[in-house]
Amino acid sequence: MADQLNHNKSWLEGLWDLLDRHFKLLAVLPAAILLLALTVYPLLELFHMSTLKISFSNAEMVREPAFWDNLTKLFDDWIYRRALVNTLIFVAVSTSVEMVLGFALALAVSELVRGRGLVRTAMLLPILIPPVAIGNIWRLMYNPEFGVINSLLAMVGLPALDLLGSTQTALLAVIIVDVWHWTPLVFLILLAGLEALPDELMEASSIDGASYIQKLVYIIIPLMWPAIMVAFIFRSIVAFKVFDQIFLLTSGGPGTSSEVVSLYVYKVFFQQNQLGYGAMLAIITIAIVCVYLGTFALMQRRMARAK
Amino acid sequence: MVAAPWKTVAVWAFVLFALVLIVAPFLWIVSVSLKYQIQIFMAEFPFDPTWTNYDRVLFAKSSDFLRNLQNSLIVAIVSTAFVLVVGTLAAYSLAWRRWSRLFSAVFLTWTLVFNIIPPITLVGPWYLIFRELGLFNTLTALTMTHIVINLPMTIWLMMSAFGNIPRDLESAAIIDGCRRMTAFRVILLPLAAPGLIASGLLAFIFSWSEFGIALNLTAKETMTIPVAIAAYAGQYEIQHGEMAAASVLSAVPAIVLMFVGQKFIVRGLTAGSMK
Amino acid sequence: MIDPSLKVRRNALGAAALVALMSSTAYAAEPITILINNSPWYGGFEAVVEKYEADTGNTVNIDRTPYPGVLEKARNAVRGEESPYDLVNLDNGWVVEFYSGGFLTPLTDVDPDFTLPPEVVTAGDSIYWNEELQWPTSDGGKLMAFSPNANAHLWYYRGDLIDAPPETYDDVMAACAAHHSPPDTYGAVLRGERGNPIRFAFMPHMLVHGGSILKDPKNGDFTVTFNSPENLTALNKFLEIHNECSADNPGAIGQGEMIQLVLTGKAAQAAIVVAAQAQMDNPEKSAVVGKIQFAAMPNPAGMGKRPVFGSWQMGIPHNVPDARKAAAMEFIKYFLTEETQTAYAEGGGIPVHTGVLRGPLSDQDRFRWMKPYATTAESAVQVLLYKEGAEVEQVIGLRLNQALIGEMSPEEALNTAAKEIHDILAASGRNTGQLPDL
Repeated sequence: MADQLNHNKSWLEGLWDLLDRHFKLLAVLPAAILLLALTVYPLLELFHMSTLKISFSNAEMVREPAFWDNLTKLFDDWIYRRALVNTLIFVAVSTSVEMVLGFALALAVSELVRGRGLVRTAMLLPILIPPVAIGNIWRLMYNPEFGVINSLLAMVGLPALDLLGSTQTALLAVIIVDVWHWTPLVFLILLAGLEALPDELMEASSIDGASYIQKLVYIIIPLMWPAIMVAFIFRSIVAFKVFDQIFLLTSGGPGTSSEVVSLYVYKVFFQQNQLGYGAMLAIITIAIVCVYLGTFALMQRRMARAK
Repeated sequence: MVAAPWKTVAVWAFVLFALVLIVAPFLWIVSVSLKYQIQIFMAEFPFDPTWTNYDRVLFAKSSDFLRNLQNSLIVAIVSTAFVLVVGTLAAYSLAWRRWSRLFSAVFLTWTLVFNIIPPITLVGPWYLIFRELGLFNTLTALTMTHIVINLPMTIWLMMSAFGNIPRDLESAAIIDGCRRMTAFRVILLPLAAPGLIASGLLAFIFSWSEFGIALNLTAKETMTIPVAIAAYAGQYEIQHGEMAAASVLSAVPAIVLMFVGQKFIVRGLTAGSMK
Repeated sequence: MIDPSLKVRRNALGAAALVALMSSTAYAAEPITILINNSPWYGGFEAVVEKYEADTGNTVNIDRTPYPGVLEKARNAVRGEESPYDLVNLDNGWVVEFYSGGFLTPLTDVDPDFTLPPEVVTAGDSIYWNEELQWPTSDGGKLMAFSPNANAHLWYYRGDLIDAPPETYDDVMAACAAHHSPPDTYGAVLRGERGNPIRFAFMPHMLVHGGSILKDPKNGDFTVTFNSPENLTALNKFLEIHNECSADNPGAIGQGEMIQLVLTGKAAQAAIVVAAQAQMDNPEKSAVVGKIQFAAMPNPAGMGKRPVFGSWQMGIPHNVPDARKAAAMEFIKYFLTEETQTAYAEGGGIPVHTGVLRGPLSDQDRFRWMKPYATTAESAVQVLLYKEGAEVEQVIGLRLNQALIGEMSPEEALNTAAKEIHDILAASGRNTGQLPDL
C-alpha cells in the first residue's frame, strides 16, 4: 500500500517536473490560443474588407476591389478629419485630467489606514452603471430646463448653462461625463501600483511636506512608472473608442462640434452599411492610435536616456 | 503610522470631497429611480418616493430582470475567473521567462491593436464563428468574448505588477529546490496581489457593463443586464425611472461581489504564501 | 455552461409538444420567432401575439431587442445560413437594403393567393418592392412586408389652450404668439438635434411646401432638388418656428426633450410621431392628462396636406424553411384582420387598418388621435427609400442643424447639402444633376 502510494507519487512528481520544465510555454499557451481563435479572423477580415466595396444581391455578398476608391474617399472626407481633431482633443484632455486626478486620489487613499476597501469599492460606482443609463441620465442632468446642474447653478446665483446645446461647450460636456466615468479606473490601477510598493518606502515618505514632494518625484513616480504607463495606455485606448456617451448625449452635434471617430465609423460602417469604407476608417484609426501611443513610448525612452 | 493628525484630516477631507463628486450622480440616479416619470421630468424636489419602478423592474410581466441578473453574474464571474488565470499566467511567462524579443513584441502589440478595434466591426465575424460552433445565443459564447476583450488589459496590468517584484526572490527559492510553478504560486502571486485585485475588479466591471457584444450575441434567455436596461431607452419613450431602478439594482450585487472578491483574493493568496 | 444541452432538450420538448398537438388538433403551424424592437406600442403587439396563441394553438416566440440591436441582429440573421427569426421588424431607413439585397421572401411567394386587405395602410408603399425599378411601389412591385406601425407625425397641441386645431402655418404662428412666454411655456417645439431627428422633423414641412430632395427618383431621375426655392421657403418657415416658438437651444432638442416639454406642460404645440401618444394621458408620465389634442400636420394656406411616414416594416427572411414561412404567413393574415387590429389598438398598439382607425373605437376619447392619424396615413408618403438613403440623411441632418444653430445661412445649408447629395449619387452611378445655387 505504502509502496503503491510512493509509486504513484513519483509518477505524479515526474509529470509535475515535466510540466514545470515547460511552464514558460504552458503559461502563455491558453492566452495565445484564445487570441488566435477569436481575434485573428476578425482582424484579417477587417483588413480584407478595407480593400473592397461590398454590396448584396440575391442574398449573396458581392465583393469588388476598391482599395484606391476607399483611400481617395478618405482623403476627401472632411467629417473624418473633424472627428479626428475632436477625438484627439477629447483623448488628450480627458486622459490627462483623469491621470492627474486618479493619481492624486490613489496617493491620498493609500495614506488611509482604515476604510481603504470601502473607499475603493465606492469609487467604482460610476463604472458599474451601464453606458446606456449613463448617457440618458446625464442628458437629463444637463437639461437646461429641468436639469439638476442648472438648478445647482441657480442656487448659487449663476446663469443657466446649456452645455450640450452649444457648439463651444458640447465637447467639454462629454469630457466632464468621461472624467466622472473613468477617473475611478485610473485610480484603481494606480492604487494597486502604490500598494505593491515596499511598505518602508511609503511610511518614510509620509513624514513631512517638502520631502514628500521630492520623494514623489524621485522615488514614487519612477517606481510607479510601469503602472502609470499601463493606466495611460488603456485609458487612451478606451478614450479613442469613446462611443456610447457621445452617441446618446449629442450624436456628434450640434453641428460637428462633438463628432468623434468611433461615432463616425459607426455611422459609416453600421448605419450606412458601407462595410468596405467603414473598415478602411477603422484600420486608419487603429494606425493613428498606434502612432499616438508609439510617440509617447519614444518620448519616454528619450527621457529615460536623458536621465 | 506616525503621521501628524492635520495630515490625516487633510487626506480624509480630500478623499471625502472626491467621493462626494463621484457618488453624487449615483445618488441622483437613486433619486430618479424613486420617482414617477412626470416627477423626473419636472425635476421635483423634495418628492414623494415611490417603489413603483423597482416593483416593475423586478415583477412586471415584460421584465426578466432576475434572469438577466443571473446571466450577468454567470458571465462576469466566470469570465473574470478565467481571464485572471489565463492573463496572469501569460503575464508571468512574458515578464519573467525569457522569450525572444520578437515573440513578446508581436504578442503584446497584437493585444494592443486588438483592443483598439471598434467593437462594432468585431461583432459580425464573432457572430459567424459562434453560429458555426453552434454557440449562438449561449452564455458560453458571450463569456468567451468577454475573456478575450479583457485579456489584453489583464496581461499588461499583471506584467507591470510582476515587474515590481525583485528577481532574486524567485532565484533564491529555486536554488532551494523549489519548482518554478511552486515559486510562482507561493512567492510571486502573493506579491502581485494588488495587481490581481485591480485586474479582477476591472475585468469584472468591463464584463458587467459590456453592451455592444452582448446586444448582438444574446437573445431573450441569455440577455444580460446592460442590454435589458437599454430596452428602457426606446426611440419614442425613455423610461428613466425603470432604467435608473434597474441600474441601481444591478450595481448592488456587483458591489457586494467585488467587495467579497477582493477579500477572497487577499485571503487566498496569503493562505497560499504561508504553506 | 449548459446552454447548448438545455436548448436541445427544449427543442425535443417542443417537438414532443408539437406531435401531441398535431394528434389532438387537426393542424398546428410550426413555432415562429419574431425579432422586434422595444417601443411604446410593443405592449399592443404582445397582446396580439398572446391572443393569436390562444386562438390558434400555434407558438410565437418574441425576441424583444433594444432599438440599436434590431438592425444588427436582422442583418446577421438574413446573411447567415438559416435565419433564427421568421419575421424581422425593420425601420424604414433599413428596408431598401433588405429588399434590394434579396434578403426577404415576398409574401406572395409564400402564399400566391394572399392579397393585402384594401383597408390596410401600405405606409407609402414601403412594403412593396419593384425589383426592376429598384423602387418601393405597388406598381409592378411585389409585396415584401406588412407594416406593424406606419407611424406618421401628428401635430400635438394643447386643447385646453388652443380652441381649434391649427390647420395652417398661420394658425400655428398665431397660437405660438398667444402662448409663447419663455422660459415658462413655449409656443411650438420641433426637433432640431443633428442627424435623423432634424432630418425627419423637416420632411413634412418640405413636402407640404411643394419641396423635394430629388426630382423623380422613381423613374430614375436623381437630379438633386434640395436647394429649390420651395425648400428654402420651407426651411425658413421651419427655422422661424424653431427660433420664435421653441426653447433657447433648438439645435439640441431631440425626441426625448421635445416629449418632455409637452408632458410637463411647457410646450403648447409640437410635431411628434403617433407612437408617443400613449404617454400623454398617463398620469404617471404626464402633467397634461386629457389636455393634448391631435391634428394633422399644418400646411401653408391654400395648399394640401403632404405628411411623411416613419414606418416599420415586418417581413419574412429568405433563409427560413418553407414550413416556417407558411407559419409566419398565417400570423400575418391574422394580424391584419379588423378584429385583431381592434385588439391591437386596445392593447396599446397603433393599428394599420383604416376600418379600425375610423371605426367605433375612434369615437372614444382615449382614441381621439385615430381620426387625425387616419387622415394622415391616407395621404402620407415616404422619402429616402433608395440605397444611398442613410448617407443622404447624414448630410441633410448635419446641414440643417448647422443652419439652425447659425453656423450657416439657410441658402448655404441647402446649397451645400445639395452638392454633397449630388456627389453621393454621382459616386454610386445615378443619373443625377443639380439646380443652380440659391
